[in-house]
Formats: sequence, structure tokens, C-alpha cells
Amino acid sequence: MTDEPLLKVENLQTQFFTEEGTVRAVDGISFEVNEGEIVGLVGESGAGKSVATSSIMRLVETPGQIVGGTVTYKGTKIVDIEEGPDGQPRPSEEMLTDEEMREQIRGNEIAIIFQDPMEALNPVFKVGAQLREFIELNRDVGSAEAREIAVDMLREVGIPEPVKRYDSYPHQFSGGMRQRVLIAMALACEPSLIIADEPTTALDVTVEGQIIDLVHDLEAKYDTSFVWVTHDLGVVAEICDRVNVMYLGEIIESADVDDLFHDTKHPYTEALLQSIPRPDQTVEELEPIVGVMPEAINPPSGCRFHTRCPDARTVCREFHPTEQDVSEAVTATHRVACVKYESIGYEDARPLETEATDDFGSGLIDASGEDA
Amino acid sequence: MGRLRYTTVRLLQAIPVLLGVVTITFFLTDAIPGDPVQIMLGPSPSAQQADAIRAKFGLDQPLYVRYVNYLADVVRLDLGESIYYGVPVTQKIMERLPVTLFLLLSSFTFALCTAVPLGILSAKRRNEPTDHVSRIVALFGVSTPSFWIGLMLIIVFSFKLGWLPATNIVLPWADPASLDAVDPDASWLVARWQVVATSAKHLVLPMITLGTLQMAAFTRIERSSMLEVLGEEYVKLARAYGVSEFTIVRKHAFRNAQLPLLTLVGLQLTSALGGAVLTETVFSINGMGRLIITAINNQDFPLVMGTTLVFGLVFVIGVIITDLSYALVDPRVSFEGSE
Repeated sequence: MTDEPLLKVENLQTQFFTEEGTVRAVDGISFEVNEGEIVGLVGESGAGKSVATSSIMRLVETPGQIVGGTVTYKGTKIVDIEEGPDGQPRPSEEMLTDEEMREQIRGNEIAIIFQDPMEALNPVFKVGAQLREFIELNRDVGSAEAREIAVDMLREVGIPEPVKRYDSYPHQFSGGMRQRVLIAMALACEPSLIIADEPTTALDVTVEGQIIDLVHDLEAKYDTSFVWVTHDLGVVAEICDRVNVMYLGEIIESADVDDLFHDTKHPYTEALLQSIPRPDQTVEELEPIVGVMPEAINPPSGCRFHTRCPDARTVCREFHPTEQDVSEAVTATHRVACVKYESIGYEDARPLETEATDDFGSGLIDASGEDA
Repeated sequence: MGRLRYTTVRLLQAIPVLLGVVTITFFLTDAIPGDPVQIMLGPSPSAQQADAIRAKFGLDQPLYVRYVNYLADVVRLDLGESIYYGVPVTQKIMERLPVTLFLLLSSFTFALCTAVPLGILSAKRRNEPTDHVSRIVALFGVSTPSFWIGLMLIIVFSFKLGWLPATNIVLPWADPASLDAVDPDASWLVARWQVVATSAKHLVLPMITLGTLQMAAFTRIERSSMLEVLGEEYVKLARAYGVSEFTIVRKHAFRNAQLPLLTLVGLQLTSALGGAVLTETVFSINGMGRLIITAINNQDFPLVMGTTLVFGLVFVIGVIITDLSYALVDPRVSFEGSE
């Protein structure tokens, strides 16, 4: 086995060209997934998590377009955008064609589990037939064998009476059952990587727990790698090996799961952690992150989080931090994109009046000039 | 069992609807001003003659007695005798109904065969030239009266170019001996073929005339429902599993996208029946449309009621077929309540 990671995303950029302007939904993210690893992609709604995953699958729909970066999967460039002679981004010669992408990658190498199991199955076809179709398409098996695999897989993901349920329609399944079917679908195609796009968000907590346990067992059994997209740090703590935290189209911190929780570096990650209850810490009150995420169409200057960051200083407004490896250990990496860890004078800068520290009164005093 | 039970329920539900149609038609016809007896006998008939006619048709009885009698007759499939033609109404209808049904069927076939591909193409090439052309065609189709289309087609293809006949429609089941175009010495099969070929030539213009409106409406609904379905999660899932775009449209999206169209096909039956009246008039086709006009013009009460009832029946059957095909396409319909 080589040291080459299974999936390597480098400087991936996806933009949406709308009438209001260009939305930089994914703005230069880089991360890696090693074999047998579960990598989390965490962030609030609108951080660009789902766009990132559909970019990896090359399923971005117009007006969206991948405008830069490289995604290497098992040495193959599934995304490789270079600048053309006219200055416009164009696919490089090494990048797989749409046809190759469809036939070689989607389903049989990288499978996906969607967020909403209620909508992801086709209501007019039987569940088994849908499974069988994808198995036939992505594995070199005939119809009868595909049917057997489908039934086995339904049993594997904990569907009772799989032979009978094979002939049921999606509306005869509950949400949790449908998500099990979708997991069965992904695993049955025997991909090396499964992208799970908020697979438990639409489910209630007990079902979520069951699904996570199921994925844990199956991951160990099939040795499949996962990219697990979620906004729930609790889920991340439970299943991920490494975590990438996204904010407004960028990855601002990435670390092993233990480091992320116990040696948090980025103020945003810190804020996220403080906004959820933790079994290892007792707090009087949870602290939500102040304000809402700005729109990606017009991101703040400098560090994109400075408008909500409790630690923000003047320099954060001007300087856009890049990811630095701040890990003390040699084996692990802990990268963080924060001005604090760049040597450009954070220590000397004046604290910034952010939404986080600002209150209504101080604005009024400023306006009347009484503080001068 | 789901589908069988569903079918039975829908058929039983049609009975009160038809009863309503009979009742409303009966009382509306009675409310029409004018006296049919006077029309039959011409100006200034003798009182004795008028009374005799009234007695013969039961018009001397009170309204509610006539209503009950009529209902009893309808149940026995007896729609009375046409005053104008002097033959049983059912006989007249049996003669004319196949013509109109044939016309409706062919115009709907024409409309669906053009609208479905056009709508899908429009959806796949949204806001591209193909889509704009299809939109303009559809706009033209819905906003042009069918009789005008009919007249224009006759002027161009019958009078100017002489390609297609405009009158004397021939039906595919016509007797070969009655046609000039058929070789009298030909074998049965050849003769039959010649009849069908002649019939097809006669059918083209009326079919387009009646079908254009439906075609336009169907195209638009097909486009919008296809667009909607192509944005569904299960279509994205299919794409993510490497299914080709063609298979996605043909298999994963097609069935779901036809549901709104099915509803519209059922509803368009009413406007098509109305259109049939105009089309039959323009092309001098002796179908139900012309029959109902003759009936109204001559205040032929039994015939008016009979034809209206049949129109109602056709519509009710159309809606039932729509519902049943809905259940065939979408398993959620027939299984509802059975789980």
C-alpha cells in the first residue's frame, strides 16, 4: 500500500453564477481521505458542505460550476481545472470525461447517501428494483445475482423480512428504514468511498443513533472510507477519525477528532463546541454563536469569521489567514486558518468591535461622539 | 387487491354523477323556451293533432311523472324516440358515437405523440432555442380557435395543394364496396387496406384541427412536470449512481412526470368534446357534435337529452380511466388506506 491517500482534494473552488453576482460556495478547500477513514466535513447551514461533496462527484448543477482545483481519487484526476489561454477555467487533459466519470467513478467507486431519505427513493418503483438497478449498473453481475445481493444487503442493514420488503414501495417504509435502504444501496455497489451528506439530519435522535451504530459496524466490516457531512459535532465525535470544519466555503480547521475536541485552535470551532452540550463539561448555559453566517455572495474582508469572532482584532479585518500546521506532534497534522497563528501582529492589534461584543447602546454613543 | 378494490370504488362513484347528469339535462331541456310539438307540426296545427302528438310522446303528463318515466327508461337504456329523425335515439347515437370517439381518439393520440417528446425536449433544453420554439408553437396552439385552424388547413391542403380531402370522411371500418377508391376486384385484405389508407388521408386534417389545442396544453404541462421531476432527489441519486441522462429521462423521471399530464388528458376531454362539435361542422363529419346541434336546432327533446347524457358519460368514463391509470402509474394512489 502506498502513502497516497484515497481521495485528495486540493484547492477546490466551486462558484454559482447568479443574477445577483458570483457566489463562491466552495472557495479553495483542501483535505484528504485515507483508506478506511471516516472524515467529517462540519459547518453551519450554507457553509458549502453539500456543494463540496457534489463537486467531488461532479454533480454541481447550473448555474454552479467548478472553477478551480484538483480532486485526485486513487491517482485518477476526477476534477482537474486549469486556466485556459483565454483566462477562463477549463478541464485539463488528464481530467476524466463526463462519460468516464459516470461509468468508472459514480456508484462503483464513490457512492453517496443523501440527506433526506423521504425524497431520495423513487416513489413509483419498488425498493428492491431500485437497489437491483444500481447494483447491476455498478457491479459486473446479472439480474438474478443482483437481486440476491440486494436482499442480502437489506438484511445486512437490518431490514426485517428482506425478501418480502424487496417488493415494497418506498412509501411503505419509515424514514429510518428508507435511510437503511439508501445505506444498503451505497454499500451494495461496493465503493471504496461513501459520501454521506447529512444522512441522519432528517431522522429523529433514536433512529439517528441506530443508523450511526449501523455505519460503524459496516465500516469495520467492509473497510469503506467515508466523507461524513454534518452540522452535528456530536455525530462527528462519535464516528469521525478526522474532522474538517468549514466556514463560508473555506476549511478553517482540520484535525484528528480528539485534537479538535480537546485542543481546539480556531475560535469558530471553539464557538461551535460551546454551543452544544458536552458530556465531559458542565456549563450553566450554552453559548450560541452570535449572528448568522454572512452570505457567500459577498464575504467579509480579511478573515471571513471576524464579524462574529469573539477574539477578532483589527488585523483580522485586513488579513486573510491561510491554513497553518500548528501540530506539535510529528505524526498528526492539525491545520488551522486563523490570524492568531500567523506572525503578522495579532498580539499588538486592537480588539475589534464585532457583533459578538457589540451592543445596541455602544453604537449610539459612537454616533454622538461622546466617547471622544 | 389494492387496484381491484380501487377500480370498483371508482366505478360505483360514477353512478351518482350520471344520475346528476340525467337530472340536470332533463330539467334544463324542459326549461328551454319553445314547443317541440309546434316545430313538428309546422305553423297553426289543429288542436286535435297537437294533442295526439303530445299524448304520443307523453308530453301531456306532469313534469315529475315524465322525469320518473324518463329515469326508468334510461335505466333500461331506452332514450326515447327522436322527434326529428323518427328513429330511436339510441340507434342514432350508436350510428354517430363511433365517429366522434374515433376522431377524439386520433386527435388525442396525435396530441400526445407530439406533446410528450416536445415537452421533454423543452425541459432538457430549457431556455435554449428548442424550448423557445416549442413555447411559441404552444402559445399559437392554445390561442387559435380550432375552426379557424380547420378552415386554414382546408384552404391550404385541400383547395390550394389538393393533397388531402376536406369532406366525406371515410372510417376505417367502412364497407369497401361503398368506396370509389377501392378496387372492386381486390381481395378482402387488399380492399380493407385501401379503406384504411383512404380513411387515414381523410382523418389527417380533422385530427390536427381538433388536436392542436390539446397538443399545446399537453406540451406545456409535460415540460413543467419534467423539469420538476428532473430536480427531484431520486433523480440526483440516480445520477450519483452513474445512470445515464437518457435512462434517467426514460426510466427514472418519465413515469413520475406523466402524472400531471394524465390529469390534464382527462380534463381536456370536455374541451375536446366541444371542439368536436366545431371540427365536425367544419369538415361535415356526421358525428355526435353535429347530431347535438341538429337536435338543439329542432328542439328534439329526446335527442338533446340523449346526446348530452352520452357526452356526460364519455366524460365520466374519461375521468375514471384517468384515475385508474393514475393508480397504475403511481403505487401510492391505490395503496392509500390499505396499509
